Amino acid sequence: MMGILGGVITDQKAPTVRRLTRAVALIPAILLCAMATPAIAAPPEGWPQAEPVSTLHALLILVAIPLGLFALITLLVHVPSMARHEEYTPGLAWHHQNEWFGGPSGGVEAADKPDPKAIEAVEEGHTGGASARW
Amino acid sequence: MAQVHVGEGFTSSQRHEIDKSIRDAETMCRYEFSVFVGASEGETGPFAARLHSTLTAPDRSVLVLVDPAARIVQIVTGSEVRRDLDDAEVRLAALSMQIAFAAGDLVGGIKQGVMMLADHARKPRMLHAE
Repeated sequence: MMGILGGVITDQKAPTVRRLTRAVALIPAILLCAMATPAIAAPPEGWPQAEPVSTLHALLILVAIPLGLFALITLLVHVPSMARHEEYTPGLAWHHQNEWFGGPSGGVEAADKPDPKAIEAVEEGHTGGASARW
Repeated sequence: MAQVHVGEGFTSSQRHEIDKSIRDAETMCRYEFSVFVGASEGETGPFAARLHSTLTAPDRSVLVLVDPAARIVQIVTGSEVRRDLDDAEVRLAALSMQIAFAAGDLVGGIKQGVMMLADHARKPRMLHAE
């Protein structure tokens, strides 16, 4: 195991070795970029002259349209929940009154006087259910 | 944008929607449903069980407890309901509610969960009557 790691230079005795390695590692990247130099050349003379693009035109296409799309998509995502009057954000405190839909007329106060037979049913495992957290 | 009533978590139209989904669920599967939204006193599991036991017919009832502050949803099914609605199906409904709640949709999550529970609970015991 140490033999394999021995091939890796972990302990540089001279900083120049490190610098040299870095320079050598950069050479393929530089060569690759150098291969793109033909792009600087002018277009062939047989081609029709292109009109120079005005700054306004470029700004419109490259900046305004993407920003507009960002805004539009964000709106499309949030409008349905805004229309549904969403007031709940997970993580913020919920300090509203407790509500029991379809509950008994006694309300939550009735829960403080539980039915012992029903509690027995719970303890014996006759009731079921599941839970989840978010 | 949103009509926030001080002291009340839901608008009246949202309450109406939840009530309607409960009524539809009860019509669909002839079991009783109720949804409690609020803070549980102490441990959520036992509290939900206590609430469930105070219902008029706990054996035929399904109680859904949503605690938005503690971010827990707890569902309790009565002993008779369990014959048609097993715990795995309840777990599925709880998971779908969890996803809706995490996205901030309390009312939609409740409606969806109640309908899913009712849908699973109404399957006939004999699938092929021969």
